[in-house]
Amino acid sequence: MRKLGASILKELQLLIHDKVGLLLMYLMPIVLVFIITIVQDSAFKLVNDNKLELLVANKDQGSLGDSLIKMLERSGNFNLEKRSDLSENQMQKIGLSSSKLASIYIPENFSSAIENNTGTVTKLILKEFGVSEGGASKLIDRTNLTIYFDPILQENFQFTLISSLKTIVDGLENKVMLDQLFAEMGYDEIPEHIASKLTGETTPIIAKQASLDGVQKLNPNSTQHNVPAWSIFAMFFMVVSLGGNIVKERLSGSFIRLMTIPPSFTFTLLSKMLVYVGVAVSQLFLLFCIGYFVFPLIGLPKLQIPASIFQLILISVLSGMAAVSYAVAIGTYAKSQEQANGFGAVSIVIFAAIGGIWVPTFVMPDYMQTVAYFSPLHWCLDGYYVLFLKNGDWNALSSSIIFLSLFIIVFQFLTFIKLKIQNYL
Amino acid sequence: MLLPIIDIQNLTKAYDKSEVLAVKSINLSILKGEKFGIFGPNGAGKTTFISMMCGILSQTSGAVNYHLNDEVLIAKAALKYIGYVPQDFAFYPELTARQNLSYFGKMYGISSQNLTKKIDYLLNKLELAHVQDKKLATYSGGMKRRINLAIGILNDPKILFLDEPTVGVDVQSKHAIFQLLNDLSAAGTTIIYTSHHLKEAEDFCDRMALIDKGEIIGLGTLGELTKHHHVDDLEELLIELTGKSLRD
Repeated sequence: MRKLGASILKELQLLIHDKVGLLLMYLMPIVLVFIITIVQDSAFKLVNDNKLELLVANKDQGSLGDSLIKMLERSGNFNLEKRSDLSENQMQKIGLSSSKLASIYIPENFSSAIENNTGTVTKLILKEFGVSEGGASKLIDRTNLTIYFDPILQENFQFTLISSLKTIVDGLENKVMLDQLFAEMGYDEIPEHIASKLTGETTPIIAKQASLDGVQKLNPNSTQHNVPAWSIFAMFFMVVSLGGNIVKERLSGSFIRLMTIPPSFTFTLLSKMLVYVGVAVSQLFLLFCIGYFVFPLIGLPKLQIPASIFQLILISVLSGMAAVSYAVAIGTYAKSQEQANGFGAVSIVIFAAIGGIWVPTFVMPDYMQTVAYFSPLHWCLDGYYVLFLKNGDWNALSSSIIFLSLFIIVFQFLTFIKLKIQNYL
Repeated sequence: MLLPIIDIQNLTKAYDKSEVLAVKSINLSILKGEKFGIFGPNGAGKTTFISMMCGILSQTSGAVNYHLNDEVLIAKAALKYIGYVPQDFAFYPELTARQNLSYFGKMYGISSQNLTKKIDYLLNKLELAHVQDKKLATYSGGMKRRINLAIGILNDPKILFLDEPTVGVDVQSKHAIFQLLNDLSAAGTTIIYTSHHLKEAEDFCDRMALIDKGEIIGLGTLGELTKHHHVDDLEELLIELTGKSLRD
């Protein structure tokens, strides 16, 4: 134990002196988490809060244009800027040069066209029911409600805006039609008890997050994704520091001396693993603290800590051990520090890309979702997703636990074989 | 009469990717308390030979037996009695002298109390006490050589292997190193030494083996060898036995 203690102390001393390594291990993930969470937060808000910036030019001579604008505002999905002074041509150009992602041009005959067409339909209905014998006026061409989209606006947001407008215009047309129906029947306005039923009795739609234990606690947001995702990336990126460190030690004179003091190299390797698992867990702790305490101070969503701290520690330690096992194997097989650093860094970036660190795997093509299973980062992230977003239980966590355990065993075995062949053990 | 402390029999090493044997059936006995030199041109097989004696490298065939404490031990089992000072700096340059000595001392299994005393003694003896808390990366070449030696003798070895212990050092450091080595020899430590500084080797070694192409081509005291080959010194002897053509 004294030899292991001495080895751990030496590794800690070397780690403290490795300023670049420390920056890479602690500062880089902090910067990454901040930048990516802030950048993605606006996208998440766009999805979750639905506050799309809209420019509206209302040229309508009637009242329906104003009603349309009021209903857009009331929906809570849009931030509107009203510019009735702009022509359609100007709208098209200004829309592109302003911060608004979309603009709506309401033409002069918007109200009259709707009223005329609904009036025609009303008369046809009344004639069909035998209530009125008056001839229906001719349907005129429907007017266009034009929307200009900024090319950067994603298709799903465009679709959302078009759907919202269609719903609102349908509602307006229905309202006008009902007004006209009651007017034709001799009413000044729709009776209150009917009007209230028409507006208040729509089928309610309840939106809920799926949850494994049936308890609704957490909502996915940029923090819940990015804090664990980039913590995992940072842990595995340790391969650059630890892998290079092992190669450096193997190629140094101190290693030759350690070969004459058995079993020093075993202790050296074991102490490196223990120290770097500690580093990995401390990286997670630091980033989780930032997500919990600092993010709310700068307007980002607060990190919600899972209910089971034991499960969180288990997944964190397994993730750290997987990262360290991979780094040790790279350091053992690489023939130079450059080889360890280059291969280590590139392989982790690839593992991160296919493992869903940057883009969640569910938006990837089917074959890429299968490829993701080969990335240890995917299984780490999957474990955290179960804990953070799905309130998971042991069954849900089991696939992550099994895969990470297998990954650790395989890479430790590969390291053992190589060291045995080279007579280091 | 001095007894052999190391007994080497038919020691042979063949590397996987080489058709030529690095060491060919060497037979040699090194006596207890002896200052034994191993010399030869570059690529002669000296490092391979020493590495097998230290147990760092496994031999293809043959045996290295250590006679210690009335026991016969193979190299791996004798490691706790061995000190090794490689030609490369074998320490952590990011750490201080005391941190390095403390780490290697604990790895040797020296008790905390003895280790502190030993570290203080070596730092004073090699005149490094005033820089003991500075990183070794900041040391001069001579200071690095001295600390390299200090780490190798922390465990009071019965047998000390020295590979070029004075390469690149000034005369003062060289003097301090040899003073310490002579003290160790006087205390009974067997020293096995290799160097390209042939003049200092002549003065230091009791007996020597000359190696070329993995074989011993000369064995004895300097006087015996020079007399036998009718030359004046070790340098002439090596040229006489190995030729003038470049080897590396």
